[in-house]
Amino acid sequence: MSELERDADWRRLDLRMLLVHPVNELIRFLPLLIGIFVLGSGDEGSPWRFLGVAIPIAIGVVRFLSTRFRITSGQIELRRGLLGRSVLTAPIDRVRTVELTASPIHRVLRLEKVEIGTGSASRTGDGRVVLDSLGTGEAHRLRQDLLHRASGAEAADVPAGTPPVPAAAEETVIVRLDPSWVRYAPLTTSGLVIALAALAASSQFLGDLAVSALDSTHLDEDVEALPLAVTIPAGILSFLVVISVLSIIGYLLGNWGFTLTRNQQGRTYHVRRGALTTRETSIDLDRLRGVEVYEPLGLRLAGGGRLNAIVTGLDRGARGRAPMVPAAPRAVVLGVGEAVVAERAALHGPLVQHGPAAQRRRLIRGVVPLALVPALALLAVLLDDLPAWWLLVTLPLPVAGFFLGRDRYARLGHTLTPSYVVVRWGSLRGRRDVLQRTGIIGWNIQQSWFQRRAGLVSLTATTAAGEQSYEIMDLEEAVAVSLAATAVPGLVEQFLA
Amino acid sequence: MSSNAPVAALLRDPAHQVSSRAPGIWALGAVVRSVLLAAAAVAAHFIWDLDLAWWVWVAYVLVATAYCVLMPIYRYRVHRWESTATAVYTQRGWLSRERRIAPMSRVQTVDLDQTAVMRLFGLASVTVTTASAAGPLKIEDLDREVAEHLVEELTRRTEAEAGDAT
Repeated sequence: MSELERDADWRRLDLRMLLVHPVNELIRFLPLLIGIFVLGSGDEGSPWRFLGVAIPIAIGVVRFLSTRFRITSGQIELRRGLLGRSVLTAPIDRVRTVELTASPIHRVLRLEKVEIGTGSASRTGDGRVVLDSLGTGEAHRLRQDLLHRASGAEAADVPAGTPPVPAAAEETVIVRLDPSWVRYAPLTTSGLVIALAALAASSQFLGDLAVSALDSTHLDEDVEALPLAVTIPAGILSFLVVISVLSIIGYLLGNWGFTLTRNQQGRTYHVRRGALTTRETSIDLDRLRGVEVYEPLGLRLAGGGRLNAIVTGLDRGARGRAPMVPAAPRAVVLGVGEAVVAERAALHGPLVQHGPAAQRRRLIRGVVPLALVPALALLAVLLDDLPAWWLLVTLPLPVAGFFLGRDRYARLGHTLTPSYVVVRWGSLRGRRDVLQRTGIIGWNIQQSWFQRRAGLVSLTATTAAGEQSYEIMDLEEAVAVSLAATAVPGLVEQFLA
Repeated sequence: MSSNAPVAALLRDPAHQVSSRAPGIWALGAVVRSVLLAAAAVAAHFIWDLDLAWWVWVAYVLVATAYCVLMPIYRYRVHRWESTATAVYTQRGWLSRERRIAPMSRVQTVDLDQTAVMRLFGLASVTVTTASAAGPLKIEDLDREVAEHLVEELTRRTEAEAGDAT
């Protein structure tokens, strides 16, 4: 009872957050501050310059004073606003995910930002409960409380007032980052994005540096003196090197210390990652609707892949996905996937191919759009005196399109396992989606004009998790109907002809 | 599950058609769109001196007329809906078609909406949403009474279902 009483009291954020926000606000206001103190130094003694420091600090104080939260037996409530009050209430049994994030400043102060994802919040967008920030210990305790209460039956087993066990003690590690996986980083785009973001943040400074460095040498003139046959390959090569280095840095920044653990009682998964900003995501097993294996062409050729969990209740920005394995060897990815979905066939099993009509469609769609380019080039050569080598350059495009189409068909397939619908598709952005059959909340059956002539349909399973819909393209109509009827019994049967 | 024998059948069309006044409102929309496009071309003529050959205009009038006449007729044959005790089933489209099925237990909201023009025609649309962002089932241009009756029926049935529908 004592815990309930304690919980019924309104709690505040950790006092140390007062330091985080001013520092964050100061960084955000930095350009302004520089302006105030450097440029504004002419008219000394102007009171305005102190305002620039005071405002961010005041914002932090107001946020601290005005934010309170409490957990009653069934609800989590968040109160915000000093003058205007807003109270956000979410039932605890709707808590799907708890995410702890700590920027470098948070980490120095031993703080964590807590984000609580609830189902309803994910639909309206801004109703997410964000507590910025709590002390590390309290944040972990809160997460423990929320996830335990959310998974109903267990809450009863834990006597009130039991001192919470440190989270790490009762968890088994499923996968941990192996630094050698960094060799896959240049084949991913996510690492590149992180690196570019970091670069953009410092670009002004670096840009100036690069320009002044260029000015002080005669590099540009030296480059111009080189023949084209040297500069083009050299340019491409240095571009590739820069991209690779950036994506390796990005991969390490984002995934340093990546650990996927499973709670002993098997109710939750925890993902920890990040070099500077650490991120800890907890996924309630009841909210897991499957996994997505990413096999983009480059990664696939190198024998690698990535694994994401399909989860309900992550925010719209993350689109209901949580990384479970970063770019890593295929065997690791499939092994973890197998452990998560607890079914071997879902990840390794053979797939049903979609037949000759689907194959024709893939090939036509691969070749025709790309064949238009040399066709237009031919027209331009004949009519407009375009140099004939244009034709030669564009001619490989439809050939590439043919191989792309062939690969897309070869990979296209689906199957039904006891608890999952499995679909594999795509070539350049290849994927294998494994979606829980009980997570399917509707079917869409689309048929374009061309598909109707080929007797094919695309069957889409809608779900509240992940991408919200998972498409199985170009199925024969009878196959699609039987698949929909078998995967979710008692729904489609009543509408059969 | 393997115990369920594969169903060797196709889906039938949903049972009910939309309002017989629906093609009227679709044709009206098509006419307005066609005229607007032509007006844009005329405006372009005065602003940028865009001159279209006479046969372009003839072709446009033919295509637009065919669109305004045939599209509503064809679409009226495609747009259908059905609601049973356990599911909602819709079919819509024209050149491309889409059928959607949602189990009653996963329905979250049922909306009825009417634009000003639809009120003139005495029509209303019903939108059924599920927890999936890709899931809304839209039944456009029903008779108002039919739509109201459907909303009432769906609301009653979904209220009876427990759970959070995800």
